[in-house]
Amino acid sequence: MSEHHITPLKTYLAVAGTLFFLTAVTVWVSYFDFGSFNIVIAMGVATLKASIVALFFMHLLWDDKKNLTMFVMSLMFLGIFITVTLLDTGFRGGVNSEVESPINNRAAFYDSLPLTDTHGHPVDEHSADHHGEDEDHH
Amino acid sequence: MAENQKQNYLTHPKGIMSWLLTLDHKRIGLMYLFGGIAFFFLGGVLALGMRLELAAPGNDFVSNDTYNNMYTLHGAIMIFLFIIPAIPGALGNILLPLMLGAKDVAFPRLNLASFYIYTVGALFVMYTIISGGVDTGWTFYTPYSTTSTSNVIPMTMGIFVIGFSSILTGLNFIATIHKMRIPGLTWYKLPLFVWALYGTSLVQITATPVIAITMVLLILERLLGIGIFDPALGGDPVLYQHFFWFYSHPAVYIMILPAFGIISEIIPVHSRKKVWGYKFIAFSTLSIAFIGFLVWGHHMFTSGQSVFSQIVFSFITYFVGIPTGVKIFSWMLTMYKGQVSFTPPMLYALSFLFLFTIGGLTGIFLGAVALDIHLHDTYFVVAHFHYVMQGGTIIAFLGGLHHWWPKSMGTMYNQTVANICCLGVFLGFNGTFFPQFLLGLRGMPRRYATYDQQYAELHNYSSFWSGILGLSIFISIMNLLWSLRKNNKLDPGTNPWGGMTLEWTHTTSPPHPHNFEEEPVLEHGPYDYDKVIVEPTFKK
Amino acid sequence: MSHDNSSPKFLQHHFHDVEQQYETAKLGMWAFILTEVLTFGGLFVAYVVYRSWYPEMFVGANLLLDVNKGLLNTIVLITSSLTMVLAVWAIQKKNQKLSLFMLIATFLFAFMFLGIKYLEYSHKFEVGQLPGEYYSYMGPEIAHLNNPHIFFSIYFIMTGLHGLHVAIGMGLIAWLIYATAKGNLNSEYYTPMEMIGIFWHLVDLIWIYLFPLFYLI
Repeated sequence: MSEHHITPLKTYLAVAGTLFFLTAVTVWVSYFDFGSFNIVIAMGVATLKASIVALFFMHLLWDDKKNLTMFVMSLMFLGIFITVTLLDTGFRGGVNSEVESPINNRAAFYDSLPLTDTHGHPVDEHSADHHGEDEDHH
Repeated sequence: MAENQKQNYLTHPKGIMSWLLTLDHKRIGLMYLFGGIAFFFLGGVLALGMRLELAAPGNDFVSNDTYNNMYTLHGAIMIFLFIIPAIPGALGNILLPLMLGAKDVAFPRLNLASFYIYTVGALFVMYTIISGGVDTGWTFYTPYSTTSTSNVIPMTMGIFVIGFSSILTGLNFIATIHKMRIPGLTWYKLPLFVWALYGTSLVQITATPVIAITMVLLILERLLGIGIFDPALGGDPVLYQHFFWFYSHPAVYIMILPAFGIISEIIPVHSRKKVWGYKFIAFSTLSIAFIGFLVWGHHMFTSGQSVFSQIVFSFITYFVGIPTGVKIFSWMLTMYKGQVSFTPPMLYALSFLFLFTIGGLTGIFLGAVALDIHLHDTYFVVAHFHYVMQGGTIIAFLGGLHHWWPKSMGTMYNQTVANICCLGVFLGFNGTFFPQFLLGLRGMPRRYATYDQQYAELHNYSSFWSGILGLSIFISIMNLLWSLRKNNKLDPGTNPWGGMTLEWTHTTSPPHPHNFEEEPVLEHGPYDYDKVIVEPTFKK
Repeated sequence: MSHDNSSPKFLQHHFHDVEQQYETAKLGMWAFILTEVLTFGGLFVAYVVYRSWYPEMFVGANLLLDVNKGLLNTIVLITSSLTMVLAVWAIQKKNQKLSLFMLIATFLFAFMFLGIKYLEYSHKFEVGQLPGEYYSYMGPEIAHLNNPHIFFSIYFIMTGLHGLHVAIGMGLIAWLIYATAKGNLNSEYYTPMEMIGIFWHLVDLIWIYLFPLFYLI
C-alpha cells in the first residue's frame, strides 16, 4: 500500500484549524439577527465545514471519484426527499382553507400542565407571595 | 457419464456447520432461496384463506378482525420476507460472481450476516403471528398503527431488521460489480441481469434506510408518544405517509428490476438471438431507479396532501413508465426473427410480457389524479399491483428458477410438467385478478372481508381461479424439487439452453466451490449469437 | 509491500491483490456512508417540516439548550476527528506508538462527548423538557410557545441517534486500539483503521449540522 497518497501533517492541522475557526464564526454570527438569513448563513458555514471534513479528513479529494460521487448522490437524494415533501407541507390548504389553519394550534395536554420556574418546579400561581425568580444560566 | 464428477459446491465441504457458517455465495443464495420459498408458501396460504372468505358475501369463515390480520400478514410477508429479498438474495447471490468471473462477492462475511439478519427479522414476524397478529395493513398508516392494540411493535421491529439485510446485500453487490469483474469485462459486455442487480442495489442502499428510520419513529410514537404523527399532539399523520412511501415506492422497483434482468437473460438465450437495444435496456434500468425516487406521492392522492404536490407527483409518474416501455419493445425486437423455443423459461418470459404490460399500463391509469380519487383503495389497485408483482416479479422468478435450475442444481426437471404448470399459472392468475379490475371499477373496496351481493359473481370467479393458481405454483415448485432425486444428475458440462454468459460457458453444473478452475478469459459478448455458435448440450 | 512471493495473510482469497481488496473496502464503506446519510436524512426531513410549520417554536425552544455545552461538544468532536486522522497518518508513517496514542485520545474525546451529553440530558430530565407526552416544563421563557414538546422530541431523537453512533464508534475504536497494540494493524495493513476513521468523520459531520440547527438558530 505504499503508493497510497499520504496527506502531509500540515494539511491536517490546517484543516483542523479552519474547522475551529469556522465554529467560532458560526457561534459569533448567531448573536446577530439576520432574519430569514440566519438559517442560510448557519447552513452555509456548516456545509463549508462538512465539505472540508469530507474532502480532507475523509480523503475524498484524492480518492477514486466513485466515492465522492456516491457521497454527493446521497446528499442529492436527501435533497429530493426534503424538497418534495415540502411541496406538500408548505402548500396545504390549496383547496380547503380550513386545512391551512388548524382549529387547535396547541396540543391539548398543555392545558393541564402547571406553570414552572426555570428549574422545572411548579409555581403556585395563586399564592400571595412569589419567590423571586433566579437568573439561571445553566 | 460421471467420470469427471468432481466436487461441486453442493457436496463440498460437507457437514451442517459448513452450511451454517458458509462463506460461499452459492450456498448463501440457496439458503435465501429456500427461506424465500417457504415464506412465499406461507403468504400464499394466507392469500388462499382470504380468497376462500371472499368467495361469497358475508363472514363465512373468519371475523373482520381476523381478516384484517390476514391481509396485513399476507402483504408484509410477501413483500418483506419474499419478494424483496428473493431474487437478489437467491438468484443474485448464486449468479452474480459467476457472471463476473469472480470467486465470490466482495464481502462474503457480510453476505452471511445479511442472511442471518434476514432470519432474525423473520423470527420477529413469526412472533407477531403467534402473539395475535397485526391488523393495520402492511402500510401501517398512522394514526391507527400508533393506537391499535395489535402487535405493531414486533412486526415493525422485524421490518427494521430485515431492512439491514437488504442494505447489506445491495452494498455487497455494488462493490462486487464495480471491483470484481475479470479483465476485459467492461460495463457494456456485462449480462443484463448484472445491470439489473446494479440498479436494484443502488435503490436498496438509498431507499431502505428511510423505512428503517420510519419504523423507528413509529415505534417511538407508540412507546413514548413523541407526537410527530399525532394530530392531537400537533403532529401530522400524512408526514408518516411521506416517510413510508419514500421507501416503499422505490421498493417496488427493488422488486421488479431484478425480474426485468431475468427476462433480459431468458429471452436472448431461448430465442438464440442477440439482444436488441442492449444499451437501451441497461440505461432504462438506471432511469427507472432514479425516477422511481420522485413519484412516491402517487400513493397518497387521497391523503390530504397539497394539490400542488398531487400535480407534481402525477406528472412525474407518467415519466416512470417510459423506460419500462423501452424494455418491452427491446425484448420483443430481440425475439423477432429469432429461433424461439417454447421451453418453460421462455413460456414464463412470454407470460411476463403479457401480464406485466397489463400491470404497468393500469399503473399509468392510477397515476392520473382524477382517476385515482375513485380507484384508490379499491380492488383496481389490488389487481394492478398483483399484475406487476405476481404477474411480473413472481412469474419472472419462476422463469429464472427454471432457467438456472440445471446450472445451480445439476439436474433437469420434467419440462412437460413445467410447461403445463406455466399454463395453469397463466390462466389461474388472469382468472383470479382480471375480475378484480372490474370489481374495483364498480366500487369494491380493498381490505374488506365482506361485500354487497352485487360483487358476488366476480369474487366467486376470482376465488375459483385462485385455487388453480395456487395449485399450479405448488406443483411447479414440487416439480423442480422432484428433479433433485437420486441418479438424476446431469453431466457437469451441460448447457441445456445454449447460454453464452460466463456462468454457462465456464463453470460446471453445479459449479465448483470456488466457481472457476482458473480465471476465465473473456472471448465474446454475453449474447453474441450472431458471431459465435454455442450449441445446447443436454446429457445425463 | 510484501517482502516475499506468497500473498500477505490479510489478503482474502477472492481478491487478486491487496490493492483490489483495499479499494473494494473503501467503496463498500462509502456505500455504507450513503445509507447513514439517508437514515439521519429522514430525521432532517422531520426537522425541516416542523420548523417550517412552527418556526417560533424552534427559535424559542433552542434558548433552553446550553450553547456552551453544545460548543464544547463541537470542539471535542472536531479534535477527536483530528486525532483519528492522525492515527491513520501515524501508522502510514510506520509510527505504531503514535498511532496507538492517537486512537486512545480519540476514544477519550468520544467518551467526553458522551459525558457532556449525559449532563445535558440529565438536566432536561430534571426540569421536564422531555419528548412528546412526557413533556412538563412550562417555564416563563417558553410560555408563549405552542408545542415545545415537538422540538424536544426531534432534539432527543436526533441527538440520541447521533449519540448511539458515537457509542458504536467508541466500540469500534476500542477494537482498533486492541488490534494496533497487538500489531495486527500496521503500516502494511491498516484498512480497518481507515474505514472506521471514515465512519468517525461521518459522526463528526452530522454533529456539524446538529449543532447550529438545534443550539444556534
